[in-house]
Amino acid sequence: MEGRTLVRRAVRGRVATPVVREQVLLFRVGEGLYGIGIRGLWEVLSPEGITSLPTPQYQICTALAYRGRRLPLVRLGELFGVSADTVPPNARVLLTQGRGKPLGLLVDEVLGVVDIDPQRIAPMPAMASMLSPALFRGLVGKEDRVIILVSEDGLGDMTEVARFSEA
Amino acid sequence: MAPQTQRDRGVAGSSAAAQFVLFQLAGKSFAVELGEVEQIIDYRAPTKTPRRPPHVEGVIEHRGRYLALLNLRKRLGVAEPGPAHPAVLVITGAGPDPRVGLVVDQALRVLSLPADGILTPPPRVFGIRAEYIRGVANAGGRPLVWLDVSKLVTMGETIALLA
Repeated sequence: MEGRTLVRRAVRGRVATPVVREQVLLFRVGEGLYGIGIRGLWEVLSPEGITSLPTPQYQICTALAYRGRRLPLVRLGELFGVSADTVPPNARVLLTQGRGKPLGLLVDEVLGVVDIDPQRIAPMPAMASMLSPALFRGLVGKEDRVIILVSEDGLGDMTEVARFSEA
Repeated sequence: MAPQTQRDRGVAGSSAAAQFVLFQLAGKSFAVELGEVEQIIDYRAPTKTPRRPPHVEGVIEHRGRYLALLNLRKRLGVAEPGPAHPAVLVITGAGPDPRVGLVVDQALRVLSLPADGILTPPPRVFGIRAEYIRGVANAGGRPLVWLDVSKLVTMGETIALLA
């Protein structure tokens, strides 16, 4: 109970609604600033040994060798149409879950962790991207920047990932 | 007496005046209906979104909401870059989002035109097919094209504007 009291403050005789904050890991893909909730993340890896399998160019989902397991790895640069010829030196793999199944996300750089107010997350305008809206949780402003929040479940639902899981 | 044609009557079929926001793009005069424009705001660099259509620049925050910015030059296939400080018409009720920002070279003024002064467009005006045009008018001796924003605010093909 004490913890709850700490986050509730009386304002002019009324009890204010507790401010719920959420921590988001910021990352870069191309020039874009993206975020993902840290609750579902369990590890951030360097991209060495991502896959020993030949990966055709333009393939969005490839294989990640992780502690004896073979996990789907979504190359976000390829998905977002900003793929570099080589894996950037600061690239990282975010290990998370999409629809309850392990999923790796290859990003160009991890930038840090920020607090956001989830109530301020607004939907991505339909005109803003030709990708499925299900891939994005929405947009949120933070210090004059707009963070594009990706949806782990939306990424996990992609046909490429589903096919990989069945393989 | 010969029956009145739509061209004779004007597009709206009455003589009541309609109001438009007049703007310039690539040296030509265009208009959209005043009721479709919520606000005119200064351009600011948008946040680029992934896999956006070629004529969409990205998103900007506007009053706590996010707007996709649609570049009308790119939508009409104008290759030359626009001015350094274009204007953004915040359009409502067109396309899949509640609002969209339409980037134009310069917003000029609000213009009132009698409906019978607005004519059905020919098959092409400035190279733009009539399906994207709601009407044409003479504004101070210059041709004015009334655009159909609902047809412009789509993911679709580029429309050719002739130089």
